[in-house]
Amino acid sequence: MRGSAPLAIGLVVLAVVFAAVAVFYYTVKTNFLASGHPALHWKHAIVFTVLAVLCLVAANFARPKAARA
Amino acid sequence: MLSAGLILFLAALQGLTELFPVSSLGHAVVVPPLVGLSFRESDPAFVPVLTMLHLGTAAALLFLYRRDWARIIAGFVRAAVRGRVETGHERLAMLLVVGSVPAGVIGLFLQDPLKSLFGNPRLASGFLIVNGGILLAAEWFRRRDERRRAAAPAAVLGHEEGDPDYAAVEGLSLRTAIFVGIFQAGALLPGISRSGITMAAGLTAGLRHEEAARFSFLLATPIILAAGLLEVPSLGSDAPTALVSVAAAALAGVVAYASARFLLRYLRIGRLDPFAYYCAALGAAGLVFIH
Repeated sequence: MRGSAPLAIGLVVLAVVFAAVAVFYYTVKTNFLASGHPALHWKHAIVFTVLAVLCLVAANFARPKAARA
Repeated sequence: MLSAGLILFLAALQGLTELFPVSSLGHAVVVPPLVGLSFRESDPAFVPVLTMLHLGTAAALLFLYRRDWARIIAGFVRAAVRGRVETGHERLAMLLVVGSVPAGVIGLFLQDPLKSLFGNPRLASGFLIVNGGILLAAEWFRRRDERRRAAAPAAVLGHEEGDPDYAAVEGLSLRTAIFVGIFQAGALLPGISRSGITMAAGLTAGLRHEEAARFSFLLATPIILAAGLLEVPSLGSDAPTALVSVAAAALAGVVAYASARFLLRYLRIGRLDPFAYYCAALGAAGLVFIH
């Protein structure tokens, strides 16, 4: 597959967004997108952390690469 | 509170039904009232105990595919760093990642709202019948495809061992893996089988029967393991239940391992139809006898 710089950049931006959401869930008591009373939703935080890492991996796949010899 | 005997009964039931395409959660909700065991599925300990049993099952799957998992994890790290897939196990690792993400995300947001359904055996009975319909539909599509592929005019009614016309897991496209992963989220409903729905999706996508089962088991492992690990802290407040749960998890794991070995051997020549009829019969019995 040929690389795509815009796609790679988009995935990095998405990774940053997911990382920010993860930090939000780690640090702020909330019930945003979660049931129950406002609390620290560490399960949500873990999932968004994993999504951030996977977006970075996907960005590495999407970036243009030098042709192999 | 759940008794030790009941937890061990649920463990054996869980180990037997988790990897068969018959919904372990559906069985845990429907079978106890059907055989006269009285407990509340809405008991706060029910879901954490079930999660521990899932953990035992995940351990069995990890042991069953230990060599595959070692290569898959190493393959994922290599491919992620390189930014390119070069081997079959690297490709399989990526298929499992993209197949797991939809179920993980959907499960995270829908698990709590759906927990209220766990207390409704009649609803679970209805979903068991739906599960049977899904399995039958997948086999119907497969038979139709086999007839289409067969050069001979006579219909092919049994698939051959190895199914040379159909693909191995590594032949799946990323898009199909996402499709199978989304289907996996359907197993959040009690009565819909995770392995059943993913095997059905795998068959529809053109996998051989035993490969569909292999992909289903590999795909289930991280989700079951993660869900189990995330629920473990909720057992801490009730030490006796936690202790029994650990023993029950071990029992579930042993039974699940034997069940998986049996199913993989059976699916070399067998089909999903018997499981479909069984689900439909159990669901019908639940609707008739549970009030």
